[in-house]
Amino acid sequence: MARMKFLCDADRCIECNACVTACKNEHEVPWGINRRRVVTINDGKPGERSVSMACMHCTDAPCAAVCPVDCFLTTADGVVLHSKDLCIGCGYCFYACPFGAPQYPKVGNFGSRGKMDKCTYCAGGPEADNSPEEYVKYGANRLAEGKLPICAEMCSTKALLAGDGEMIATIYKERVLKRGYGSGAWGWKVAYKETIAV
Amino acid sequence: MKHVLSFSLRAALFGLFGAVLATFVAATPAAAQQPFNPTAQAVKEEQLLQQLQQVQGRISIPDAKASVLIQPAGREWRTFHNTTVFWTGAISILGMMGLLAAFYAVRGRITIDAGPSGRTILRFNSFERFVHWMTAGTFIVLALTGLNVVFGKYVLMPLFGPEAFTTVSLLGKYAHNYLAFPFMLGVVFMFLVWVKDNLPSSVDAAWIKAGGGLFVKGAHPPAKKFNAGQKVIFWTVILGGVALSISGLILLFPFYVTTIEGMQTAQIVHGLVSAVIVAIMIAHIYIGSVGMEGAFDAMGSGEVDLNWAKEHHSLWVAEEMGKAGNAKVPPSAVAAE
Amino acid sequence: MLIKRKSGEAGRAKLQALTSGLTSGVLDRRTFLKRSGLAVAGAAAVGSIQLGAVRKAQAGPTNFSAPIQLRKNVCTHCSVGCTVIAEVQNGVWVGQEPGWDSPINRGTHCAKGASVRELVHGDRRIKYPMKLVNGEWQRISWDQAVNEIGDKLQEVRAKSGADSVFWLGSAKFSNEGAYLYRKLAAFWGTNSVDHQARICHSTTVAGVANTWGYGAQTNSYNDIRNSKTIIVMGGNPAEAHPVSLQHVLSGKEINRANMFVIDPRFTRTAAHATEYVRIRPGTDIPIIWGMLHHIFANGWEDKDFIAKRVFGMDEVRKEVAKWTPEEVERVTGVPGEQLKRVAQTFATQKPSTLVWCMGATQKTVGTANVRAYCTLLLATGNVGGQGMGANIFRGHCNVQGATDLGLDVTTLPLYYGLVEGAWRHWSRVWEVEYDWLQARFDEVPAKQGRAARTRKANMETPGIPTTRWFDAALMPADDVDQKDNIKAMMVFGHGGNTVTRMPEIGKGIDKLDLLVIADPHPTTFAVMGERKNGTYLLPICTQFETTGSRTASNRSIQWGQQVVKPIFESKDDYEVIYRLAEKLGFADRMFKNIKVEGKQPVPEDILREINRGGWSTGYCGQSPERLKAHMERQGDFDLVTLRAKDGPNKGDYYGLPWPCWGTPEVKHPGTHLLYNTNLNVRDGGGAFRPRFGVEREGKTLLAEGSFSLGSEITDGYPEFTFGIFKRLGWDQLLTEKELETITRIGGNNVDAINWANDLSGGIQRVCLEKGVVPFGNGKARAIAWNLPDPVPVHREPIYSPRIDLVEKYPTLPDARQFRLPNRGATVQKAGVERGVAKDFPIVLTSGRLVEYEGGGEETRSNKWLAELQQDMFVEINPADAAARGIADGSWVWVNGPDYGSKAKVKALVTERVGKGVAFMPFHFGGWFQGVDQRSKYPKGTDPIVLGEAVNGVTTYGYDPVTAMQETKVTLCQIKAA
Repeated sequence: MARMKFLCDADRCIECNACVTACKNEHEVPWGINRRRVVTINDGKPGERSVSMACMHCTDAPCAAVCPVDCFLTTADGVVLHSKDLCIGCGYCFYACPFGAPQYPKVGNFGSRGKMDKCTYCAGGPEADNSPEEYVKYGANRLAEGKLPICAEMCSTKALLAGDGEMIATIYKERVLKRGYGSGAWGWKVAYKETIAV
Repeated sequence: MKHVLSFSLRAALFGLFGAVLATFVAATPAAAQQPFNPTAQAVKEEQLLQQLQQVQGRISIPDAKASVLIQPAGREWRTFHNTTVFWTGAISILGMMGLLAAFYAVRGRITIDAGPSGRTILRFNSFERFVHWMTAGTFIVLALTGLNVVFGKYVLMPLFGPEAFTTVSLLGKYAHNYLAFPFMLGVVFMFLVWVKDNLPSSVDAAWIKAGGGLFVKGAHPPAKKFNAGQKVIFWTVILGGVALSISGLILLFPFYVTTIEGMQTAQIVHGLVSAVIVAIMIAHIYIGSVGMEGAFDAMGSGEVDLNWAKEHHSLWVAEEMGKAGNAKVPPSAVAAE
Repeated sequence: MLIKRKSGEAGRAKLQALTSGLTSGVLDRRTFLKRSGLAVAGAAAVGSIQLGAVRKAQAGPTNFSAPIQLRKNVCTHCSVGCTVIAEVQNGVWVGQEPGWDSPINRGTHCAKGASVRELVHGDRRIKYPMKLVNGEWQRISWDQAVNEIGDKLQEVRAKSGADSVFWLGSAKFSNEGAYLYRKLAAFWGTNSVDHQARICHSTTVAGVANTWGYGAQTNSYNDIRNSKTIIVMGGNPAEAHPVSLQHVLSGKEINRANMFVIDPRFTRTAAHATEYVRIRPGTDIPIIWGMLHHIFANGWEDKDFIAKRVFGMDEVRKEVAKWTPEEVERVTGVPGEQLKRVAQTFATQKPSTLVWCMGATQKTVGTANVRAYCTLLLATGNVGGQGMGANIFRGHCNVQGATDLGLDVTTLPLYYGLVEGAWRHWSRVWEVEYDWLQARFDEVPAKQGRAARTRKANMETPGIPTTRWFDAALMPADDVDQKDNIKAMMVFGHGGNTVTRMPEIGKGIDKLDLLVIADPHPTTFAVMGERKNGTYLLPICTQFETTGSRTASNRSIQWGQQVVKPIFESKDDYEVIYRLAEKLGFADRMFKNIKVEGKQPVPEDILREINRGGWSTGYCGQSPERLKAHMERQGDFDLVTLRAKDGPNKGDYYGLPWPCWGTPEVKHPGTHLLYNTNLNVRDGGGAFRPRFGVEREGKTLLAEGSFSLGSEITDGYPEFTFGIFKRLGWDQLLTEKELETITRIGGNNVDAINWANDLSGGIQRVCLEKGVVPFGNGKARAIAWNLPDPVPVHREPIYSPRIDLVEKYPTLPDARQFRLPNRGATVQKAGVERGVAKDFPIVLTSGRLVEYEGGGEETRSNKWLAELQQDMFVEINPADAAARGIADGSWVWVNGPDYGSKAKVKALVTERVGKGVAFMPFHFGGWFQGVDQRSKYPKGTDPIVLGEAVNGVTTYGYDPVTAMQETKVTLCQIKAA
């Protein structure tokens, strides 16, 4: 069975932010909510690398483990989804998430958080596939249409890979062997407790 | 507990290390002018995670927390939340209840040795009682809604079902967020009103030595307005309340003053302090209600039985009487009937 | 490299139940729904939400019950030419899908391309025509707008002449729009018609065309996959052309290629280089000559290539000899050893390509820079083959096409110069009398000792460029070499903050009697200066709301389908140009051979007219039918060669990159790689173009022993004319109809009819049969004797931080160019005298951000993009910041050396820039000298993000050949605000 994962090949990522706007455009994600983002490490210095990051859909997801209302579910594809009907916006998943994935619309007074929003791997939510209700809460459900996450599909340099974990690991391995360098499968160790040995 | 401490320690060390690293980098800008191979010198995740507790960089959106790329510490926070705080809370609360039950079984209700005198003396005026109940009331809601966050999904969700449980928890979240303010106000007032009576004094040692007289029937070590046990409660409420307030405010205004590590640390403080205070408060509630005859009146009507007062706060009664002797009988120290 | 799912079935597999359990956290969806009681609620909601009703404002979820149409268009931002697939429902653009089949982008996008749908959302677009009345914006009708504008234009014309109207066009036009606009200017009677190429790659076009024939990228983005060595110099394609990096990085990986980035700034591109070379800004020529110094000294040059295909390399050797490693290091800061390594690799690990962008071009020495780059390529034999060449990454989506189609003050469409023959050629194509056209132009009186010009002479004189129009409005009329000052300005699709010296531009704008801004957005033109009246805003739709072709940087022409009808009251360029022509009274002549439906010219018909006249550049074979066939079958084209392996377009190169010789019926495949002798001309082969004669100082300018594969002439040869055809006996091969046309056109000088003005296409057809290149087979020129510095010479920028070098390497003396004086030398001298370098010690350079484009009004109005860059900033080195007490993210003032100019921006403290260098992006506008101008925009049209324009502080400096402005090297001072 497929186990969906993301892999950002930092030796390809150029911080073009296509993944970010593709995501926003596809799901009509409001200003201030960043389901995906690109961070540049060692900016301007030798060794600079940019990495695109969103929910990594962890194995044994920390967000799900700490959620006080158990609003998360992991699909058979390994995609970590959540229910906005159950979420109470407590913010615990942000503390536990190693990747800063959970986002909260600011509602009400002081820092009061609304219902959590995060990358759905373009797989919507618990509602019926591609129902209007699902779209309004979680955005498009591309997976149900047989498509992959739009961020990876539109990545300018094909740095961001999405798909079955084994297959994208194979692609990455082949790349590294071909070119002779690789700065690592960012986040894999933390998310999936495995790395891609080349 | 071990990993929690090491986690906080590391968070603190990280800041230090980061500063050192920044100095190092800033000190060698000339290095950038030398020819170099950006491909070969690319940073590797492995190496960064070994050097640092988290991977952080630059991001163009004005959201500092988004610039943290990977923070494996979340995993430790998860263990804290799901294991440490869970068991600390469970053990301390259930343990305290167990202890009290055992105490009750052995000692039973502590009665007024001399029996009710029928005369009362004003122990707490209405403002003091208001402050107490405002703090206590909000504390109970805060404690229950807080406990719900840790234990609710195991205890309540199976009973209510997920949807109803969410409704309860959401209301609980709002209650927790908003009632935090009267609670904090209460802590401040308590401090102002009672601090002068809660400074440690010479009689406390004797009181403690005598075990507060709790374990021996008829033993009543002397005490002023507050005995050492009550002073412990007072300072627990004040110091714990302040800790909860500060950590709570940090959590209430996420990322206003701190980063993700700060948030996690605040949450750890909040959770552990809560567990301890809740346990202590259970004891306080016990002794102030079923555990001791006559004690509840102090915060109920404010008027306590003179005999109760003499047994538990002999020095205070003497003091009050002395004041009364100099003048007339305190208005409140009149015969009840 | 993505694993794409093939069917929806796979997606639904995840619905299969899995054993649920709280411990593992794995829970299938059905169980989850059941447990949470959500399933019922979800199903109930489906029926209750109406989706079809949403239009524009809320392009909401895709309703799977209504049919979805897929429309294919091309991204309207940079020149890479990424295919955009739009999902349209009930006339609303509801989603974007990857265009997997496009060999150019293979489904991918950058931040801009991935969010183009928002452009047609249009929250902040101009919704209806408006005019400024006493400082207030008033809504008017299209009819009123066109009437008033037309009357005013005629009034200006009557008083000050046709040249007093400046026609500023756009690189955002389609080819058809650009062509019509150039035609409109010609019919109006002026050569002052320009567009963004002036400030983008005009120096490239001039430099490259003067070297080997045509002003364009020789190869393609895709072809970089073949390169073994890549130098990116003066460009940051990772931000400016992100999708191109897909090809660059793939090539780098597959070939383990060397990738050098030579730039003052450690860019996102440099981060992926195999070696980064930091140079002092403005020292490109010393770097190239320094490399050639090592190449010549070690004999690494391609001697065979030079002997056969290059003219004048010995002259270059003399100049190069001056650039010893020591002098190069003194001037550029680059150590000799490093440059030697780069030079050796480039010359010996071939094929090598040189990529450049505006870091090379936007300089007072832009044209010379470009020619130096070309010389390096020629010396190492790196032109005319796979993986080689001058890979010039152009800027806007159709800047190549708009340049090709003559939005330029020096040419007619397709590089026909402003000479009588060219005017006659186009008047034949247009079927309009040459004399009528000539009569449209002004007579220019003698001024300040300059000779007067007849209408004919004025018709053949270059116009005023966009970098200088405000000088032509502000200077005394006697200084401007035309009838009068510029009095009116028509701005189509062009930002106002993209030109240097903005404090002066504001004054220029105030002097205008009429300012018309035809654009989807108001642009900074609408808010600059202090105008109270006489400004009109015309809402123009984007290219997604119309049809037409656009030419990508690699010369591939792509046809875009209309995605949705123009939103609000906007109209496309064609209709607006038609309405103006109609009002000005020459629509019948101008659209004589172009079908007009209502007031809407048919784009296909415009392209057919271009085909009928576009022989010089091989724009003749790309009929709309062929282009559409390519778009329909993109998947047939090879990723690397761009050639269709299969299908109805088999053998064609994608988008029929020009030159595509002959009529469409000849079915020439287009030319993927220019000047490539390894292929038959019929298969896209070619040779250098001998456009500067056949001989110079006794030496031949024709190729020697080099010719394209299968050529019947096995040596160099000049361009083909009917006269040469007769001598070769090839006139016999022309059909009767072709001969008839040639004879008719030729009149009494029929021998002079050539490959470029033979309207029958017969000469080109026969050339293809014979395997010869219609324009001839010549040598590239390492020495351009018609330009100010025949061999490029290093010249310090006008404001240089190195006053010690200004004396040895001064800028060119003052001269008159483009009807105006160029006082660069005076300004440079005055700068040294008043100690500019001391008071303004930091070099200021500028460039692109990935999120925005050009002047940025369009992209700063796009919420998906605006969120990513919310503040204008200046990059400053940590050492410079520390010395000034500037913290990262704090506000600073950037002060320019002239006009007391200043800009309030945020500091971005970074080692991207070296010590003594600062960088600002050029996309911001709407703040001016520290003041927010938001209130000056018409309500609801202000971009989300405003900020200071870098050109608020830029300074004087123009390339003598093209009037390119200096944006890459000036001086500034920075202090904490």
